[in-house]
Amino acid sequence: MSETLPNDHMAEARTVPFRGGGFRPRARRGVGLVVFVALLIFAEWGTRTGFISALTLPRPSDVLQTFGELYQSGLLFKHLVPSLTRLVVGAAMGAAVGISVGVAIGLFSYVRAGLVPLVAAIFPIPKIALLPLFVIWFGIDEGSKYALIAFGTFTPTVVATYAAVDNVDRTLIRMGQSFGLSWWSIVRKIVLPGAMPGILSGLRISLAIAIILLVAAEMLGAEYGIGAYILEAGALYDLERLFAGVVILSVLGIITSALIGAVEKRVLRWRS
Amino acid sequence: MDIRLDGVSHSYGATEVLRDISLDIPSGTIVCIVGPSGCGKSTLLRFLGGLERPTAGDVLQLGQVPQDCLNPMTFIFQDFALLPWRTVRGNVSLVLEDHALSAKEMQGIIDDVLARTKLSDFSDALPRQLSGGMKQRVAIARALAVNPAVMLMDEPLSALDSQTRELLMDDLIALWTRTPFTAVYVTHNLAEAVRLGHSIVVLSRRPGQMREIVHLDKPLAERGHGDPELEAHQRHLWDLMRDEAAAADAELLNV
Repeated sequence: MSETLPNDHMAEARTVPFRGGGFRPRARRGVGLVVFVALLIFAEWGTRTGFISALTLPRPSDVLQTFGELYQSGLLFKHLVPSLTRLVVGAAMGAAVGISVGVAIGLFSYVRAGLVPLVAAIFPIPKIALLPLFVIWFGIDEGSKYALIAFGTFTPTVVATYAAVDNVDRTLIRMGQSFGLSWWSIVRKIVLPGAMPGILSGLRISLAIAIILLVAAEMLGAEYGIGAYILEAGALYDLERLFAGVVILSVLGIITSALIGAVEKRVLRWRS
Repeated sequence: MDIRLDGVSHSYGATEVLRDISLDIPSGTIVCIVGPSGCGKSTLLRFLGGLERPTAGDVLQLGQVPQDCLNPMTFIFQDFALLPWRTVRGNVSLVLEDHALSAKEMQGIIDDVLARTKLSDFSDALPRQLSGGMKQRVAIARALAVNPAVMLMDEPLSALDSQTRELLMDDLIALWTRTPFTAVYVTHNLAEAVRLGHSIVVLSRRPGQMREIVHLDKPLAERGHGDPELEAHQRHLWDLMRDEAAAADAELLNV
């Protein structure tokens, strides 16, 4: 079935101009890699032709070679293993305490009234400034490093968690109450899964902060560790080794981000 | 089990929302509550479900709660209130998990209610994959699972398009005809009220007071779309409400 207008207007017919579309970022595979490789090639070309002086930037191929030497001498793991242990232990402590406190703030009025101002007061303190204090409290060894990383991950995790708990759909909680679910069931089956997206995106930030603090902690009193390695290279103005260390940190950041992405994909499968 | 509201009044601060509501809800009937927006219909339902307490008056359960009833007063919400991270089956099992039921009993109940709401084929689907009508059928299945003494339905069809609404009304009538249940059905849609209600309570605008109770004797199964007798009732209800609805619409919202 079709209904058409008489044809005498055809001379003035124009296509309606399209003005929708856009504002919807889509996944474009490999673009990130292309940008990365292009930058590397530019740096390599620049340093080889002398367009970029050796003091400004080390040659990427030299950095790669340094990295290879680091791996072959076995020093890579000697630095990496203590760093990773510190990162995992410190971040796990900070995130676990942060999520627990955040959920408690989200659920109990008194905890909220008591702790939100405290968290607001602690949040802006550069945690590195407290390192000497931590050294006195927890010792110059691993203790102060764990504490620094844990403390640094704690505050952003708390804030993200209680905001996420606040954002859980109240109608779902009312529903749980109306079916006579126990308090604990409501927390476990409605509040926590509902807050999970917010908690995970908070962890993304917290873990990046944890890596930054890891390096800071290792720059002050550590024999081995990526931070110590970078500090030593910097003191000698050994740009190749400095950059090799920085590359390790970047890779570490990409790995943690990918790990969280994988967890999100699994835990938040219910979102489209 | 019957329900009695005895002199229920309520105010939020200085705003009086309900005034002296006394109403009996006999077992096995569907009572519809209609009224202009903001007249306290949903508040009344929350009193019945124990989610809120009235400032004055009593909400009473008369008689024994049936033995196999897991949650006497059970809600069906306008926005479905399904957990998006649980499948259809998981959403139904949520309300059974806190009760001492064996895995087999639970399985049996879930299979039964999903069959009654024609959802058996979708038991592993997530809410985001379902249409609005299907979501509300999941919510109905969840409510049936706890074998309620009274169903509290808060505008259950208002979020749906009119065709889905017709289909779901037929489903509700079929469910009631098979096993009559008690329900309090809050709606602003008069067509729904005359299709589903054994009696229809008309509330005035804020503060909500009872204006009239209309009784409809025609059996639910015989009421069809566009029935002249129902139309007459609907017109009568609208005449009662029109001026109030217009006045309520013109009020400033400051609750």
